[in-house]
Amino acid sequence: MLAGGLLILGAWVNVFAATPTTARVSGQVRKADSDAPVARAQVRIEGPTLVSRENSQIIQKVKSDGRYQLDVPPGTYELWASAPDFEETKVRLELAAGGVVARDLELRPLQKSPYRVETLKLPQQMIGEVSGVAFTPKGSLVVTNRRGDVWIRGYADERWRRFASGIYEGFGVVATDEADIIVVQRPEVTRLRDTNGDGVADVYETLADDWGITGSYHEFTYGLARDRAGNLYFSSGLCSFGRGVELPWVRGPLQTAQFIPWTGAGPVPDGHRSVAQYQGWAFQLSPAGKLDPFASGFRQPLGVGVSPQDELFISDCPGAWVPTSTLTHVERDVFYGHPDSLKWHPEYRNRTMTHAEITALRRPPSIYLPRGLMGTSPGQPVWDLSQGKFGPFAGQVFLADVSALLMRVDLEKVAGAYQGAAFPFLRGQGLRLGGMHNAFGPDGALYIAQTVRGWMSTEGNEGIQRVVWSGETPVEIQTLRLTDTGFALRFTDAMAAGAGDARHYQVRRFQYNHHPQDGSLRINQVDVPIASARLQPDGRTLDLDLVELQPGFIYEFVVGREVLSRGGQPLLNPTGYYTLNRLRSGETRAGPSRLVAKAAEPLRAGDPARGAEVYRLNCLVCHQGDGKGSAQAGTPDYTQAGGPLTKSDAELIAVITNGKLPTPPAVLPMPPWGNVLPPQAIHDVLAYVRQAFQPASR
Amino acid sequence: MNVVLPLWNLLFRRPVLARCVAGGLCAAFPSSRLKAAEAVRVTVVGANGQAFGLPATWQELLAKAAGVPCSVTSARRDATGGLGLDSLQSAQAAVFEVGPGELGTGAVTLLREFLRAGKGCVILGATREAWAAVPGFSEEILGAEPGAPFAAGAPMTVINLFPHPIFAGVTRFETAQAMPVYAKLADDAQMIMEGTVGEATTPLAWVRRRAAGRLCHIVPVGPDVARDPAYQRIVANAVLWTLNRPIADAQAAVQRTFMPDAHPGAIALTLPNGPGVCLDPVRGGINYIWDGDFVDLRPRWLTKQGEPARIFGEIFYREKTWQPLRSGSPTGAPDFHFRGYTLQAGLPEFHYVIDGRDVFETISAAPRGTGIVRRFRVGPGARPLWLNLEPQAGADVDVRGLERDGAAGCFPGTGAGEFTIEIRRKAGGANR
Repeated sequence: MLAGGLLILGAWVNVFAATPTTARVSGQVRKADSDAPVARAQVRIEGPTLVSRENSQIIQKVKSDGRYQLDVPPGTYELWASAPDFEETKVRLELAAGGVVARDLELRPLQKSPYRVETLKLPQQMIGEVSGVAFTPKGSLVVTNRRGDVWIRGYADERWRRFASGIYEGFGVVATDEADIIVVQRPEVTRLRDTNGDGVADVYETLADDWGITGSYHEFTYGLARDRAGNLYFSSGLCSFGRGVELPWVRGPLQTAQFIPWTGAGPVPDGHRSVAQYQGWAFQLSPAGKLDPFASGFRQPLGVGVSPQDELFISDCPGAWVPTSTLTHVERDVFYGHPDSLKWHPEYRNRTMTHAEITALRRPPSIYLPRGLMGTSPGQPVWDLSQGKFGPFAGQVFLADVSALLMRVDLEKVAGAYQGAAFPFLRGQGLRLGGMHNAFGPDGALYIAQTVRGWMSTEGNEGIQRVVWSGETPVEIQTLRLTDTGFALRFTDAMAAGAGDARHYQVRRFQYNHHPQDGSLRINQVDVPIASARLQPDGRTLDLDLVELQPGFIYEFVVGREVLSRGGQPLLNPTGYYTLNRLRSGETRAGPSRLVAKAAEPLRAGDPARGAEVYRLNCLVCHQGDGKGSAQAGTPDYTQAGGPLTKSDAELIAVITNGKLPTPPAVLPMPPWGNVLPPQAIHDVLAYVRQAFQPASR
Repeated sequence: MNVVLPLWNLLFRRPVLARCVAGGLCAAFPSSRLKAAEAVRVTVVGANGQAFGLPATWQELLAKAAGVPCSVTSARRDATGGLGLDSLQSAQAAVFEVGPGELGTGAVTLLREFLRAGKGCVILGATREAWAAVPGFSEEILGAEPGAPFAAGAPMTVINLFPHPIFAGVTRFETAQAMPVYAKLADDAQMIMEGTVGEATTPLAWVRRRAAGRLCHIVPVGPDVARDPAYQRIVANAVLWTLNRPIADAQAAVQRTFMPDAHPGAIALTLPNGPGVCLDPVRGGINYIWDGDFVDLRPRWLTKQGEPARIFGEIFYREKTWQPLRSGSPTGAPDFHFRGYTLQAGLPEFHYVIDGRDVFETISAAPRGTGIVRRFRVGPGARPLWLNLEPQAGADVDVRGLERDGAAGCFPGTGAGEFTIEIRRKAGGANR
């Protein structure tokens, strides 16, 4: 009996060994300056073979000894490690089927920032799921929490009192004064007034509720911001269809069919839809009470802010059609990306639009916040109007992210439209998860409302924190601005002469796919050579001329550790991302690229031998060793007459490079490999596929 | 439904009906319901038969909260060590600090009779050992099992008082006391106070409405909390709640949330000394009324995806008509807008606009807590205002100030005015 059992087990192991479907990477995350494990670290692996997962990635918390272990399909990956108070690190991995790779990851401590994070003490009766924050003109701090309370900390005595309760998920607040406060809650915008002077609201006035809700947990109502004319702005997230839509208890009309139907097999990659009226829209509510569906195309527009010039800006969270986090200058009647909201658009509601038409209609965000360093769910944008109390970033935009990150954005208007640069600003130093809404206080500190309940574990560390500047100048890229020939970097401090050396800067550009899949990896990424670097005599401004500028790309800047201030300090945050939607000339369409041409010129004919290894590493699991494909994955049979290999090399290279949505009965999309494999490797693998599987050659 | 209609029609055929359905009311009130002016007799039992821990001023506080004289007797051990529980026989309610401890045979009998008699029972920080004399105490009486220290004895970071009349007059209750975990909370136990450490939560107080009387268990106990006037008030209110007596300063609880059988953002309304109401601002009416306390919002709060709030108590009234308030005719095009509410003297007045006409509705508890009174203030309008009504199997409905026309009532004039609807639960009435 025992022997029989062992025999069966042995047979199973042999079968498993014969057809490995996964690869394993494991190791330890430890401090760079010692062998000690890093507390509260996490690893994140992302790659095209994880396309069916949320944002094509797996995130794992490491164990207390710093160890991690990830089992993934074979393929090419980026493996990231991060932890509070440490710089992120990433490595590129090629994992073969059945392979086991050991990879320890070392993290360097973040430099100490001249900004400190302080946690506000809250009364014991207050549920710390703080979701909104604002200040009255006199300086009282007003917060909403997810449980439905509004609390005020008085400007004079700093004592907390509950101003209102019974709100359904208050997610934002503006305060006219200590007795007149407006909140946005799930079903409506509500004005709360204390008319009898007892410090507690007695009037709950409905200002607007004319949009659809279904009961889906995900159809959050976000906001709230007000311009100087008194217009209020808020937004509505898409609902997670199939989970929590309470039929027939839906407010307003219901449309469950997608605006662009999902033609692939299996479930829709992203179940977020605009099933109730105006989900995925931004709204303007006038002082007279007129509700205006203002702009469309949002997915989860969590952050709603108004600039000092009364312009509406909204941040959105990545998923289908929103490839990474974004910050967008929102203008009336413009469509910003997620097509399902067009169901409620007066012009497009009855039309059938193609993906190409949607792309043409979509206005790009002002700022892409690339996944990796720039968080996962950005909150409310707020402008630093502290007149220097918050450091040398007057007029710039700050956004907290749910992932314990504070970001900084330097906007500029180029040819009439906003674009600009985004930087990580503060990580670690006790900054907690759940950054959602922000407000600058009269003390010049940035107050961050934090709640994540139900979405991730915080060990109860939610509430409100403030970020305070010590007065010491942070060594940072203060601004990153477009020039006719490249970019101008303005530093907050005078830099040493080495900062003028072009070799200390790495510039690359990339794009994202706006598609129905959940997020996007980078595509069309290429290094951009620096033609020249000139540091101005004052050491504050660096002109970087690039060999070419192409609109429609995100430019990533990484400053080397060799670049130091004259005081010997490296940059606190050496990476920045410039969203180049348009050139200074106003040109928005990319022209022929000398970089692409340069890269294409030296391509050799495809090498089947090299291609075989590429195939083994990246393609084998789905397309199988015999090229006959997989019924489970729905991949085609290359060996079949009339199959995919009847297409031209150019067509196949385009599919390999850019990916392809699944055609029934295929279930999984073909991932885009263009941002993973070099062009030569794509040519090599195609040569191998043709040699090994082309029907005519067999 | 057919059985109810004749009575329904009878009620509505009177233009102004000030109807006293005395017989029906008497039938609707269980004998345990007390008159408001009746004195309160309470026995207090100290921990393990020792002196009761709350200060003597607590008795005065109870009297003040009840608005009537209160007689408080204490159970004490006699010279032989036996605990005298004779006062339980005449008491309407008892407050047990921790538990009575060891008891003689006679005292056990008295205690069991008290717990079976449908009287009010307030227990402060029950322990298994102190109730060893009562077999099945945890499951049958307490509705939970006392256990190990919560969060390894760490003080609470949050103490959340849920909306409940037991917390009337209490604006702040804080304690650094370590709390035990009470596990296996009974399905009918409604949590009204919750403690949090980190992300973990534990019940700190709950109530049960049972045939064998109302129970309130409050976990914090001991000298430090006993000195806190807020705690004393909570205990006093708990006594009154277990006796179904009015509680001074109790206010309506209003919460917009996700209710079962209602549009998202419906309003959960619980009236002091009255039932719970689900008011649906989208449908434009009361979806249902239940005989019980405030909703349990934890299903909605504590998870990512969230469930509707939970209702404790039996539903005895339901309506489904889409936007029952109409203008011009009972079948006129619906044009209903919810405009919010105002809190006045602890009660909400809801504001609607129907075809441009302001309508304000105040919902209060019907006398003796058997139902609700809906008072409508109607502003001037161009056309008559109609209210569609639905027959109810579980409730009697009286209307004053409306003209009956079939299944609807009409507010005929174009000027301002008022009308009232009183909804009372029938004896044993339910509408599931």
